[in-house]
Amino acid sequence: MNMDGNGSGHRAHRRSASAGVAVAATLVLLASACSSSPGSPGATTARTTTVTIDLTPEGCAPRPAKITAGQVQFNVTNTGASAVSEAELRTSDLAKILGEQENLTPGLSGGFALDLQPGSYKINCPGAAQQHWAFTVTGKAAGPSWASNPQLAAAVASYSGYVDQNTARLVTHTQAFCRAIGAGDMSQAEVLYPKARIYYERIEPVAEIWGSLDTEIDGRWENPVTVASQFIGFHKIEQLIWADNTLAGAPQLCAGLVSHEQQLLALVRSAQYNPLEMASGATDLINEAATSKITGEEERYSNTDLPVFQANVDGAMEVVSLLQPYLQHQDASLLTQIRERDAAVAALLARYHASPGYDDTGYVEYSTVLDPQRRQLSAAVNALAESLSQLSVQVSS
Amino acid sequence: MQPGPSRRRLLAGAGAAGAGAVAGGLAGYFAGPGGGGVTSHAGAGGDSDQAVPFYGPHQAGIATPAQDRLAFGTLNAVAGATRGDVRDLLRAWTTGAARMTAGHLVGEDVRPYAPPVDTGEAVGSPVSRLTITIGYGPSLFDHRFGLAGRKPSALAPLPPLPNENLDPDYTGGDLAIQACSDDPLVAFHAVRNLARIGMGVVEHNWMELGFGRTSTTTAGQQTPRNLLGFKDGTRNIKAEQASLMNRYVWAGQETGQPWLRGGSYLVARKIRIFVENWDRDYLQDQQDTIGRAKVSGAPLSGGTEFTPPDFAATGGDGQPAIPVHAHIRLASFEHNGGTRILRRGYSFTDGIDPQAGTLLGGLFFIAFMKDPAQFIRLQQSLADDALNEYIQHTGSAVFACPPGLHPGQSWGDTLFT
Repeated sequence: MNMDGNGSGHRAHRRSASAGVAVAATLVLLASACSSSPGSPGATTARTTTVTIDLTPEGCAPRPAKITAGQVQFNVTNTGASAVSEAELRTSDLAKILGEQENLTPGLSGGFALDLQPGSYKINCPGAAQQHWAFTVTGKAAGPSWASNPQLAAAVASYSGYVDQNTARLVTHTQAFCRAIGAGDMSQAEVLYPKARIYYERIEPVAEIWGSLDTEIDGRWENPVTVASQFIGFHKIEQLIWADNTLAGAPQLCAGLVSHEQQLLALVRSAQYNPLEMASGATDLINEAATSKITGEEERYSNTDLPVFQANVDGAMEVVSLLQPYLQHQDASLLTQIRERDAAVAALLARYHASPGYDDTGYVEYSTVLDPQRRQLSAAVNALAESLSQLSVQVSS
Repeated sequence: MQPGPSRRRLLAGAGAAGAGAVAGGLAGYFAGPGGGGVTSHAGAGGDSDQAVPFYGPHQAGIATPAQDRLAFGTLNAVAGATRGDVRDLLRAWTTGAARMTAGHLVGEDVRPYAPPVDTGEAVGSPVSRLTITIGYGPSLFDHRFGLAGRKPSALAPLPPLPNENLDPDYTGGDLAIQACSDDPLVAFHAVRNLARIGMGVVEHNWMELGFGRTSTTTAGQQTPRNLLGFKDGTRNIKAEQASLMNRYVWAGQETGQPWLRGGSYLVARKIRIFVENWDRDYLQDQQDTIGRAKVSGAPLSGGTEFTPPDFAATGGDGQPAIPVHAHIRLASFEHNGGTRILRRGYSFTDGIDPQAGTLLGGLFFIAFMKDPAQFIRLQQSLADDALNEYIQHTGSAVFACPPGLHPGQSWGDTLFT
């Protein structure tokens, strides 16, 4: 849903920042590099240690040079070093910058905040007489506060499994789709296309963490793809089948699609999530249904919007189900409202059930759903999204 | 990663600035009621830190001196909405409207992981005499909410009327929100936030923005001009004329529904003006069409703007000085058995007609009255209006606006008992 690059940019950034942590398991950085806001909900309650760094011609000695793990605020001041203008916090091998304050000319101050795990680090100030300064974090690794809540921890673990399972099925169903294409069986390909798509549409906010993969798999023409050679995913094949009525070039595109999906599978299997990402992802899914599905933009060639609309809702409500044990205590009335509004969406969607339906999707062709009916659907999913948007505060408080 | 300066910071800034006589943009929208009363500011326009009292015997936004800008939204209850949902919504709207019209945000944000309570675009904008007026459409009283027994007998969709070609996309609605302010952003913000509060219970039906008031509603206001270029509202009822307000505007003992007494009916008509055609008409014909001089606003029977028109006067040719089909003649109370209404309309534009390439705009007519029959009578009289050649009614709605509230009371309290 963030493929157009506007609207929810900051949210996607936050997700990518914290998911990136888990992928590189040895990394110690838990927070994003954002200096003013905590990167994980658990960090909001942690005690903050302040470290002062003065940039001098001699270097950038941190004071203190040894702290205990947790939230750290680095305050950096250039006290008169014309040749030094920045301080960086790096891994002890200097390979990676974890946080930095640049562009400090003499007299200027700045800083950055991080959530640091135990370990050895380096403060680096290019241009100084001594460029590298040791910095040590001691104590016990502090997990995020949600991890100590069994209900939230269980929800996160289950969600990880849900994402893995749906991504794996995305791959196998896309492979089946590709076999039909390889065999030149257009009608079979039409049936298998939406069957593969639904697995992606259940977990799309997760896939968006790796932005280029999302574009390669699910990019639409002009959203965000504007270069023909980069229009290579599901929707290019959709265009070939439904708009151009040809499979020419489709086998190669399909092989590339599977390859990208396999990359995604490898990434999601090593990724970890947190409750805030789950909650905001649920809202993202319904926002996506409310925008690109309602208008028919997403599946503009195939008119198979209804099954993927359903998949967006399913993916969001899976999050709700996983969080339900926690939410029952936290805000039972919100849970009730979400269930009621989900039921309202389901009742409207049920009007378009068909058997076997258009292209065997279980639904009618979306082009037969007229504007007044789409408006009803829109009102219902917007109401659901409004309720879901209240989830994030529940899982982060 | 919070985008822009957080509202919390702004709020803190406003607080730090002190509660004293701090002017300036930062405190702006939070500044609260600037002086309370509005009568001394009948000139309108520049009194942007002024708040109009929300509570009182009548809803604000009717007798209030007409503000410069309008945002008007109609909403329909969604399928499955219940009586309790609508009642709760009206309570939430009351809270939100009381806050916004006092210059406050809908709510303050203390939880960084919750969506902002207020959408935020009016932060820093002075309240600019914001009023929020709500109305109930005839459809609200159908079978859905158990309100059939509470339906005022006079509340019904308007009958077919002369010179209309109604677009269903601009017709009717279960509920109406009229937000008026001297700042268009503040007016829009009010409708947007009330609609947001209602999500899941109501959905947008149609919405219109008005960019220039076309009526004078109090004695001190200068008469504005509509898109025809003529002064409009010279003979409107003025809020100071209490006996006229009671006789023609406020619902009283005549209604069988006690909850409506002290309220009023709102008739909204979206009137397209074919401005290109009008602009090609020669000056004297424009003046004959309206019945007034274009620049001075004086009636063609002579005098100045506020000279009462003399419909019996004749010109040198022996013909009526105010032509028989002139708009002000046919719309006058003298011609309609004394029937009067309180007009409170605005100019609007929807951009360009996609088919014709012509300007799509005109008058978003709003009028308040004791009974919609008043408007119906007047509009039927206008069947022979010379102006009809240049206009067409394209949208229509009627709403019953409940009376004002006292603190602690909510919209819907008396309707839902």
